[in-house]
Amino acid sequence: MSAQLVLSNVVSRPMRSLATALAVGVEVALILLLVGLSTGMIRENSRRMAGVGADIVLQPPNSSLVLAASTGAMSVKIADLVSRIEGVKAVAPVYLQFNTSGGMGLVWGIDQESFNRITQGFIYREGTGFQGPDDVIIDDIYADGRELRLGDDLKLMNHSFRVAGIVEHGKGSRVFIPLDTMQRLVGTPGQATMMMIKCDSQSDIAGIQSELGRRLKSYPTFDMSSFAAHIEEANRDFGPLKYFTNTVVFIATLIGFFIIFLSMYTAITERTHEIGILKSLGAPQGYISLLFLKEALVLGGLGFVLGLGLTFGGRFFFQLLMPTLQHKLPPEWLLYTGLLALFSAGLGALYPALRAARQDPIEALAYE
Amino acid sequence: MKTILESIELTKIFKTGKIEVAAVRDVSLKVREGEFIAIMGPSGCGKSTLLHLLGGLATPTSGRVLVDGEEISSGKDAIRTDIRRRKIGFVFQRFNLLPTLSAQGNLEIAQEIHRNGSRDPQHVDEILNLLGLEKKTHHKPSELSGGEQQRLAIARAVINRPAILLADEPTGNLDTRNSMVVLKMIQELNRALSQTILMITHNPEAAGIASRLIEMRDGRIVSQQQEGEWNATEDRMSL
Repeated sequence: MSAQLVLSNVVSRPMRSLATALAVGVEVALILLLVGLSTGMIRENSRRMAGVGADIVLQPPNSSLVLAASTGAMSVKIADLVSRIEGVKAVAPVYLQFNTSGGMGLVWGIDQESFNRITQGFIYREGTGFQGPDDVIIDDIYADGRELRLGDDLKLMNHSFRVAGIVEHGKGSRVFIPLDTMQRLVGTPGQATMMMIKCDSQSDIAGIQSELGRRLKSYPTFDMSSFAAHIEEANRDFGPLKYFTNTVVFIATLIGFFIIFLSMYTAITERTHEIGILKSLGAPQGYISLLFLKEALVLGGLGFVLGLGLTFGGRFFFQLLMPTLQHKLPPEWLLYTGLLALFSAGLGALYPALRAARQDPIEALAYE
Repeated sequence: MKTILESIELTKIFKTGKIEVAAVRDVSLKVREGEFIAIMGPSGCGKSTLLHLLGGLATPTSGRVLVDGEEISSGKDAIRTDIRRRKIGFVFQRFNLLPTLSAQGNLEIAQEIHRNGSRDPQHVDEILNLLGLEKKTHHKPSELSGGEQQRLAIARAVINRPAILLADEPTGNLDTRNSMVVLKMIQELNRALSQTILMITHNPEAAGIASRLIEMRDGRIVSQQQEGEWNATEDRMSL
């Protein structure tokens, strides 16, 4: 019956209940959209890295696996040294640069000839490879998202490029420019931020990694079969992203807490007389506290469901606006946000519930 | 007969700033099992305060209250609540029904509180039938007339078979016809089920159905009369 009282109180004040649940829903959606977008982007990047077709990645000393954050560089001449190692089929120097002009994302500077040897070449939807230093190759998702066509201008790193080719997505980046141009724009001639290495056979990978370790001490190498997993892990543990996510989760939980607190605080004032009735019936303090806690948990649960709706709605909206944005919702985060919604609801209701339970029965009964 | 309710030199003083007002002064009273007592007196004489003290809704400044042998006047809210839950039923002038629950729900929640969670739907139906509310089971209080609401409040008060029913002006919000119905029901509870009742009223006709009449003034009991000792022909209702 207490459950019925809780539900009837939720139903009998529909606007209050809806507004409270919606606020909790915003909390849930905020977390799920952020986590979904960051996870989606990380996984998409990892998949595209794997799609390049390299067997080993070589990075300069002290570089980061979080590619966008990596600032280290090495000489492209290292490619010659690597290519002389027995079992190495091809080496492609690549320069990665985080671009913020005309949208954010990683731009890869590639030497197309060596890059093609690793990837077996791009699959062109339209156009060709680089014809000049200011040419850019973009993938189909990027082209669709920005409604770009062959010959269109594209501004990257404060420089105008011409779209020379539109290729099928999935090979490293969404945007490629010539390596020389990248080096010139960044001011690091003859440098690369990583080397993609293709081996003659999968069985050569371990041996080549070991040889690279011997010849290029402090240059980390990664087996591409586990590189995607390494990147995901590194991105997850990447300090700024982690702090940002944690901050958003904390703020969202705080919002949920305060909304429930205010809502339940108002509810106990509205229902002072009801509390007096329950006290006159002999309801113990724990019973009255639990009624309000249960009500808050119901609102938290409703908020979670609304939050899921807002998340999927938001995801749809984002994909309409920015098709290149990938949103991947890790299932464990559904559980976490559900628990967070209930936690913030329970915590927010705690003080009002205890206050309700401690009301003086006569004053509560006399309340108009 | 067994004493169900006893107050011993009960005093309640309210303090407003430096001013002290004694609402109840040295009230000693014994209520025996099956008795029906009416308490009368002018407004502000301390009737309601006395009822609150007897029901454990308030604590006395001094003195004691024993309900069925258990002291309810201790300062601890948990103890008073527990005795109230097990032994006392309240009926108020304002009905005090839970507005969001149906008639059945109002009875069931009283059962749930009394029995720590369990309910007896069959007993709920019996009581609703007894009080003529069987067709209003699913009605909310706002959909019931004043008389029906008070009958429901009485049903809720007695559904757990309390040792004593404390009624505070139960007909104060009702018209004459509904007052008669409610009083008849209270009288029936006392006669048929031997329900011990202590009722506060302003209405001499209502007091007329009690077996003992207590008069209060200025926080004190000034007179007590047994059935037949007061002017029955003028005061008693023909129920």
